[in-house]
Amino acid sequence: MSKAGYTRRSVLKSGAAALGASALPAPMIWAQEIKNITLRQFGTGVSNLNDVANKVKEDLGFSLEMTALDSDAVTQRAATQPGSFDIADIEYWICKKVWPTGNLQAMDTSRIQNYDRIVPIFTTGKLTPETDIAQGTAPHSVGFVEGPGSTSFADQETGWMTLIPTIYNADTLGIRPDLIGRPIDSWAELLNPEFRGKASLLDISSIGIMDMAMVCEAMGEITYGDKGNMTRDEIDKTMAIFTEAKKAGQFRAFWKTFDESVNLMASSEVVIQSMWSPAITAVKSRGIPCVYQPLKEGYRSWGGGLGLSKSLSGMELDAAYDYINWYLSGWVGGYLMRQGYYSAVPETSKDFMTENEWGYWFEGKPATDVITSPTGDKLAEVGEVRDGGSFYERMGHVACWNAVMDENQYMVRKWNEFIAS
Amino acid sequence: MKVTRETVTGWLQAAPLTVVLLGFLLAPIITIVIVSFWQATEFSIIPAFSLENYQFLFGSPVTYKVFAATFRYAFITWAMTLAIGFTVAYFLAFHIRSQTVQIALFLLCTIPFWTSNIIRMISWIPFLGRNGIANQALMSWGVIDEPLEWLLYSDFSVILAFVHLYTLFMVVPIFNTMMRIDRNLIEAARDNGASGFQTLVHVIIPLTKPGIMIGTIFVLTLVMGDFITVRFMSGSQRANVGRLISNDIGLLQYPSAAATAVVLLCTVLIMIAILLRFVNIRKEL
Amino acid sequence: MEKRPRSFYVLSVVFALFVLFLYGPTITIGILSFQGPEGGLTFPMRGVSLNWFHELFQQQAVGDIWGAFRRSFALGLMVMVTTVVVSVMAGLAFRKRFPGSGLLFYATIASLVIPSILISLGVGLIFNQLGLKVHWATSGFGAQLTWTLPFGLLIMFAVFNRFDRSYEEAARDQGASAWQTIRFVVLPIIAPSLIGVALFGFTLSYDEFARTLLTAGSYNTLPLEIFGMTTNVTTPVVYALGTLTTAFSLLIIGAFLLLAWVMARRRARLGSDAGKGV
Repeated sequence: MSKAGYTRRSVLKSGAAALGASALPAPMIWAQEIKNITLRQFGTGVSNLNDVANKVKEDLGFSLEMTALDSDAVTQRAATQPGSFDIADIEYWICKKVWPTGNLQAMDTSRIQNYDRIVPIFTTGKLTPETDIAQGTAPHSVGFVEGPGSTSFADQETGWMTLIPTIYNADTLGIRPDLIGRPIDSWAELLNPEFRGKASLLDISSIGIMDMAMVCEAMGEITYGDKGNMTRDEIDKTMAIFTEAKKAGQFRAFWKTFDESVNLMASSEVVIQSMWSPAITAVKSRGIPCVYQPLKEGYRSWGGGLGLSKSLSGMELDAAYDYINWYLSGWVGGYLMRQGYYSAVPETSKDFMTENEWGYWFEGKPATDVITSPTGDKLAEVGEVRDGGSFYERMGHVACWNAVMDENQYMVRKWNEFIAS
Repeated sequence: MKVTRETVTGWLQAAPLTVVLLGFLLAPIITIVIVSFWQATEFSIIPAFSLENYQFLFGSPVTYKVFAATFRYAFITWAMTLAIGFTVAYFLAFHIRSQTVQIALFLLCTIPFWTSNIIRMISWIPFLGRNGIANQALMSWGVIDEPLEWLLYSDFSVILAFVHLYTLFMVVPIFNTMMRIDRNLIEAARDNGASGFQTLVHVIIPLTKPGIMIGTIFVLTLVMGDFITVRFMSGSQRANVGRLISNDIGLLQYPSAAATAVVLLCTVLIMIAILLRFVNIRKEL
Repeated sequence: MEKRPRSFYVLSVVFALFVLFLYGPTITIGILSFQGPEGGLTFPMRGVSLNWFHELFQQQAVGDIWGAFRRSFALGLMVMVTTVVVSVMAGLAFRKRFPGSGLLFYATIASLVIPSILISLGVGLIFNQLGLKVHWATSGFGAQLTWTLPFGLLIMFAVFNRFDRSYEEAARDQGASAWQTIRFVVLPIIAPSLIGVALFGFTLSYDEFARTLLTAGSYNTLPLEIFGMTTNVTTPVVYALGTLTTAFSLLIIGAFLLLAWVMARRRARLGSDAGKGV
């Protein structure tokens, strides 16, 4: 990844960050000892960025060691190796699987300074008081537990949080407009025979099945009771439709890591596929046209958060709370939002973005100046508008969240069957 | 039984190997076997005896299909690596006369393996992809008009990668046995009027059998246990047993993964046991 | 020089094609590592530059290549030394008929044939059940040994099968103790083969993925790190790393061959030193 030079903007930013950091109540007594603290964080490369670790060292004084893993390894490590990490950067659907193992400890929301400003999606489940809660494993449904030692989820805010939300987004299909040459407006297009051999799907079952459901529903083939919690019958029907398409050669490949999706798209192997927002950004930054196509059926959404290992205590635990408070205080939010994700406390991120960037990424306004990524790659020209529009337009049209269903085990077996067919 | 000094020395010398194998081979196998009889809910492993995992495994048509696919990969890869490996070993053993050159050529073959396999796997995509080197070369030579789709994300690419990875495991043992063949036997065959081909079929191949067997053991076990190559090279579109296991592990279905693993392990061990009947590795190396 | 048969030329071509095939990915990596600053992991090339070699020595967006490289290198050396020592000892043991040798031999073969991911899973589960911390230098190290030791032992079999026992007998006749025989007669003779065991041990460990997957603990080895890096945008930096690795190994092997050549010439000039009673 190319590093931008030290621009005036980034100097201004770090100045602002220093201000932000000093506003935090960093107890001065252990200012010296805190330098010796090292927190070990793991997660996928999506948010385990070295820039964040460097900034933590600068602002908070302690060291953060980031280990990037693939999504399978993330689940396993969280579930089976509680001693190998201090902070887990995982997705909410993984939390649903991992929390009952007791490897993570609940967080006291009274110690989270920006708790009240967290987007309500993560607390009440409703983006605005009027919106419906989408199907699937919505973050708020696995976001709280009754008390510090509890292993079962609470259905409302309790003051004890499982994960502190960090980033999230509304996902849709990515397309190559130059190679398709006509408007795309429905999930059903993924199985359109026109794209035979040029389509791709995500091979992580908990996420892939939701994309499948969006497609089947859009085609009018299946009407689900709850896409996020399918019956065996619904799973069978969904898989049958996709198995048939697979056998007919609809798919060029399935991808499992972020990078594969970028390469498939950038090398023209695939023209339509499930994709993540920064992957689109990455394709675009190579000068290849790529659109994160909003679709009439809505988005499939996901969210990630930070969890604390149960083995954390004492000064390390305090440092972890400091880190989380810092995480929500804006710098990281701004950094991630400029990649196309959303921050859990958007208001604080605003201070770390230019008006143009905030307008483009959050408000859906046309860019008034060139939009660049945090690492300096050009992403949009003057006048361009973000695919899908503003935060409320995008997050307000979430049809379902990545999910762990009651029939998960059955679904996994069916997924294996699908891959083997 | 009389315990002699010699025996004690033998035991002492074998002790480190034994300790490693007990701790990191036997213990894991026992654990896996035990876990395979446990049950799992969505969230945790329940230590209770159950045959559910095996019932499901043997009751599912997917199992048979995936095992069949695994055998197919193993067999085709074996045949290809044997053909290529034998030829290469023959060339190195009988046509290259200087030992230094032999070593140099061997080392030349090993260099690509110093680059991480993950990186090499990523690089097959620009090589075999629609706009990859292979397709562009073929098109510029006028061999084809349209890019070949089956070069990548197909059984072809999976087997290609296997052959690429494992041929050397066939070359080394075959070369090793070839070097032990008494050159006088070949002279004798030639003196008796055997053609080069007859010498090959009646003298060299029979004498190389142990090397072929050992190479076969390497290749079969490597292919049967693989999961990453199949996933990368087929673009996740094909499955073998290893992928079944790794999918289950990824979704925390440990008991189910363990049951599949036990069946796979038994299959491989039976195959190897049969092969070992034909060759005494300890003597023939 | 004796005239080469026609089959020599045919086989030379086959061998050349085989080498070309082995180097296919290496060549692709080589070309793409010179990708321009805007280029990606696939064709087309977007300019030509040394940018990615430069980037390789900078901090990446995700992951810590050099930290992982150091760990992999250290682990490779640990595995290498242990493999050599343990294989030689076991090789010596197997020359005697000791009770249990058959069982141990089959266990070693089982270790060779067991699918890597099972070792990974099993070792991970055991450490978890025992409440031990998985770490690349403990669980990862042990898991890799189950892979390198069988190879080491098989090579030792091959070595000792070719070993002329009369050297040992001669030493013993002259009053050398068992240890002295090993130290001053056996080890020097088998030393060149030990380089082979060492190289094998290091290479197998350095590139091992599956066995380290669930046993590496908090910190990644290089293969795991690279895999982890693919969860974000991977740049041609990984190709630059591959190209450097290849160039580096070519260099080492070139030096090795040069040394062998110089020594051969020296020996030819000085004549054989056999019988000079050094």
